[in-house]
Amino acid sequence: MINKNTSVKSSLIKNSRLIGKIANILLPLMLGVVILILWQTEILHKIFNTDVFTLPLPSRIINIIMDNQAKIVLNIQATVMVSVFGLILGSLLGYLIALIATIFPKWGAGGLTIVSAFNAIPIVALAPVITNWTKDVSKDAEIRSMVAKIIVVMIICTAAMSINAYRGLTELKPFSLDLMKSYASDNKSIFLKLRLPNSLPYVFTALRVSVPASVIAALVSEYFAEYIIGVGRQIRENIVLAQYSTAWAYIMIACFIGILMYVILLIAENIMLKNR
Amino acid sequence: MKKTKKLLAILMGITMMFAMLTACGEKEESSNFDAEATAEEIVVKAAEAGMVGNWGLGNEYEVQALLTKYDQPTTYLSQAFDMDGFDDDSIMLASAMTYNELGLVKNSYDGAYDYGDSVAYIDMNDEGVAMLEDNLFTTKAFAEANPNTVKAFIAASMKGWKYACENPEEAAQIVYNYGSSVSSEHQSYMAAEVKKLVETDMDGNTVSDYGNIDEAAIKQTLELAQQYIKLDDATAADKLSSMAIDDIMDSSYFTAASSGDFGTPEKTSVSVQLKWLPQAQFMGYYVALDKGYYEEVGFEEVKIIPGGGDIGETTAVNNGTVDFGVTWVSNLISANAGGMDLVEVAQVFQRSGLVLVYKLD
Amino acid sequence: MKVVKKIFSSKSIVTLAWIIGIMLIWEIAALYIEQIKRTPENVLPHISQIIESIFSDKMVSNNQTALQIVLVNAKDTLLRAGTGFIIGMACGFILALIMELSGIVEKMIFPYLMALQMIPILGMAPIVLAITHDISTSRIVIAAILTFYPVATNTLAGFKAVEREKRELMYSYSASRFDIYIKTLIPSCIPYFFTGLKISAPMAITASILVDTLQGDGGLGCMLSQSLKHAMSIYVFWQIVIFSAVVGILSFYLMGIIEKIVSPHYHKKKAKAGE
Repeated sequence: MINKNTSVKSSLIKNSRLIGKIANILLPLMLGVVILILWQTEILHKIFNTDVFTLPLPSRIINIIMDNQAKIVLNIQATVMVSVFGLILGSLLGYLIALIATIFPKWGAGGLTIVSAFNAIPIVALAPVITNWTKDVSKDAEIRSMVAKIIVVMIICTAAMSINAYRGLTELKPFSLDLMKSYASDNKSIFLKLRLPNSLPYVFTALRVSVPASVIAALVSEYFAEYIIGVGRQIRENIVLAQYSTAWAYIMIACFIGILMYVILLIAENIMLKNR
Repeated sequence: MKKTKKLLAILMGITMMFAMLTACGEKEESSNFDAEATAEEIVVKAAEAGMVGNWGLGNEYEVQALLTKYDQPTTYLSQAFDMDGFDDDSIMLASAMTYNELGLVKNSYDGAYDYGDSVAYIDMNDEGVAMLEDNLFTTKAFAEANPNTVKAFIAASMKGWKYACENPEEAAQIVYNYGSSVSSEHQSYMAAEVKKLVETDMDGNTVSDYGNIDEAAIKQTLELAQQYIKLDDATAADKLSSMAIDDIMDSSYFTAASSGDFGTPEKTSVSVQLKWLPQAQFMGYYVALDKGYYEEVGFEEVKIIPGGGDIGETTAVNNGTVDFGVTWVSNLISANAGGMDLVEVAQVFQRSGLVLVYKLD
Repeated sequence: MKVVKKIFSSKSIVTLAWIIGIMLIWEIAALYIEQIKRTPENVLPHISQIIESIFSDKMVSNNQTALQIVLVNAKDTLLRAGTGFIIGMACGFILALIMELSGIVEKMIFPYLMALQMIPILGMAPIVLAITHDISTSRIVIAAILTFYPVATNTLAGFKAVEREKRELMYSYSASRFDIYIKTLIPSCIPYFFTGLKISAPMAITASILVDTLQGDGGLGCMLSQSLKHAMSIYVFWQIVIFSAVVGILSFYLMGIIEKIVSPHYHKKKAKAGE
C-alpha cells in the first residue's frame, strides 16, 4: 500500500517537475524585477511614504557593493561561517533531542518543552551572556567571539528542529506501526524504515524556519560580539552612523545570504525527497 | 536496558557541561600597570596585546587617534556596555565615560565593581585627541522655519543646565524622579562628574557660558572625525572630507538665546530625544522641565524622549519624529556626511568625557 | 489507553523533574563560576540569589523594586507581543491559504517572504517608523512581521501534506472547492498550523522584547538592556531572562491547550496511533 502510494506520487511529480522548475525561478525573478523598477523609479518610496535617504536607490547600493568588494567578502565569510556551523550543530542537537524524546516518550516530552523555552529567551539577552560565558575559551578574541556567536545560532536552531522532528518521528501513518510490529520488526528497523523516512519532510519544514533564523541570529549576535566583524555588525555600525546607503548595501547582502542558503536547502530537499 | 540508556544520557550531559566549564583556564600574564608608567607605555603595551577596548559605533575615534599618536594600529576590541571585560582582564585598557563607567569601576554601590583607587586612567583632553560630545541639534529646515522656537528652547535648556550645575545633588534627584534607570547613588556621582564636563573646556579653563559653541574645539573635533571616520559610501566620504564647521553648526541661535533676543516660539509643543537612557548626563533638560523654565519662554509642552534604542537620535530628528536631539558631534558629522541636514545649535559638554581606564599593580 | 492516562497524569512530575535537573546543573555551574570570577552575578548567579532579588523590597530605581520594574514593563511588552502575534498569525494563515490557492502566487512571493525575514529590525525600523509615524504601531508591525513566517510555512506545509487520496475522494464526491477547503484541507492542516503557532508564540515574545529597544521609553527590552549596561541592578536582567523564558513556555503550552480544544478528534487519533 505504501509502495503504490509513493509510485503514484512520484510519477505525478515527474510530469510537473520541469515546468515547475522553470516557474520556480522565473516567477520570483519577475516579481523581483518589478520591485527593483518600482524602487529605482522611487514609486516604492511614494507607497511607503519614505525618502531616498531612509531607503536608498538600488543603483547607489550597487555602487557601494562594487566599491568595497574585498571588505564585504571578509564580512560575508564571518557571517556565513557562524550561521552554517550554528545551523548544523543546532539541527543535529535538535534532532538528537527529538530522538531521545521518541525513545523515552515519558521523559522526552518534558525535555522538549524545556528546549522550546530557549526559543523564548530573546537573542538580545542570550548574546551578551554567552559572550561572558565564553570569555575563557580562547585568548584570541576572534576565536572566542566566533564560538559565542555559533552557540547563539545553535540554540536558536535547536528548538524548531526538535519540535518538528519529534512530530515526524512519532506521527506515523495510521496502522503503519502496527504493520511493522506484525512483521516482528525490531526497534532498529522500525526506526530506520519507518520513523526516519517519516521524519524527513518534517526536518525540512524545520529547516525552512531555521535557515532564515540562523542568519538572523548570526546577524544579531554579531552586534554584541567582542570581535568586530560580520554583515550584521556592519549594518548596525552604519545605521548608527546614519550611513543608510552603506547599511542597505549590507542588508541586501544579508538577504542574499539568506536566500542563497534557502535555495541550497530547497535543492537538497528536492534531492532527498525525490524518491518519495 | 532503558534505564542504563537514560543514565548514560544524563551522565553525558553533565560531562559536557563540565568540559565547557573547565575549558575556562586561568590567565598567567599580568594585565596591570605600574603607577609610574607613562601614557605612551600603557597604550603601547595594551595595543600590542590587542587589548584596547571601545564600544565602537561612532565612539571609537578618540581612541583611534590616541593609538595613532603612539604609532599603533587603530584596531580595538568591541567592548560591551558593561565593564565585565575590564573586570575579567580580557580588556587591559578599557573605554569609560568619566560620569558613567568610570564611576561603576571605582565605586562600590549596587552594580558597580568597587576598584576604588586601584585603577587609573588616561584622559583624552590631556592627550590632545579630545572630541566634543553631548550637544543640542535640530534639522536646518526646522531651525530656519522656527527660529524663535530654537532660541527659546536653547535659552530655557541652558537655564536648566546652569541650575543643575549649581545644585548637582538636587538635579540628580530630579532626574531620578523623572524615571531614571540608574540607582540614586550612581545618579549623584554622575551629576557631579557631568558638571565638570559642562563647566571646564578641553584645556581645563572654566566655562561660564553654558552651551557655548567653542569654534576651536569643534574644529579639532571635525579634523579628527575627517581623519578617523571611515565611510564605505564614496559619495558620503567625499562629503565628509570637504566638510567645514559651518556645515554642522550655527552659533547665531545660541547668541540670540543668551542675550534673550527672541520672540514667542512658533511651535509651542516640542520634543527632544536624548542620546542615551534617562540619567544625569541630561540633567539640564530635566531640571528645565521640572522648574518650569520651558513654560517661562512660552512652551506649552516639552517631551523628553529617552534614547539608547536602535532608532538613533539623528534618525529621529531627521525624519521629524522629534524636533531636537542630543548627540555627539562626531555622530552629527557622519550623519550629515550620509545625507542628513542637521545643525548643532548649542554645545553642552565643553570637553571630552572619554577616558581609558587601566588597573594598577 | 491506560498507559496514555498514566503518561498524562505523571506529565507534570516529569516536567518538574526536568526543571529540577536543569536547576541542579545551573547551581553546579554557578558554584564553579563563583570560584573563578570576581563578579559572578554578572556571569551566572545562584538561583537563590535571583529568587532573593525577586522578594527583596530594595528600591532598584525610580522608587520601584526589581520585581515591580519587571512586572510594570512586562505589561507593555506582553500586550505588544499579543497584538503582534494575533496579527502575524492571521497574516500567516491567510498568506498560506492564498499561496495554496494559487501556485503562481506561492512561487512568486515565497522567496520574498523569507527575504523579508532577513532584513534586520535595525534596517526595517526607520522605514516602518516613516510609514506609521508612531513608535508603538511600528513595534507591533515589526513584531507581527517577525512572527508570521513560521505560521505561513507550517500551514502551507500542512496544506501540501493533505494526502492526494483524500482530495481525490472529495473530488469523486463532486465536492465544491469551498467544501474541499472547509472539510479537508483546513482540518488537516491544523496540526501544522499549531506547530507554527508553537514556534511563533515564544518568538512573538522575543520579537516584542527586541522591538522594545527601538526607543528607550519602557518595556522589558529597555529594562533588560539598561540592566545589562549596569545602569541598575543586574538582577533585573536575570529576572527578565527567567520571566521571558517562563512566559515563553506558558505561551507554548497555551497553544497546545488551544490545539486540543480546537481539534479533539485529531488528538484521539494521535493517541491511538501512538500506541
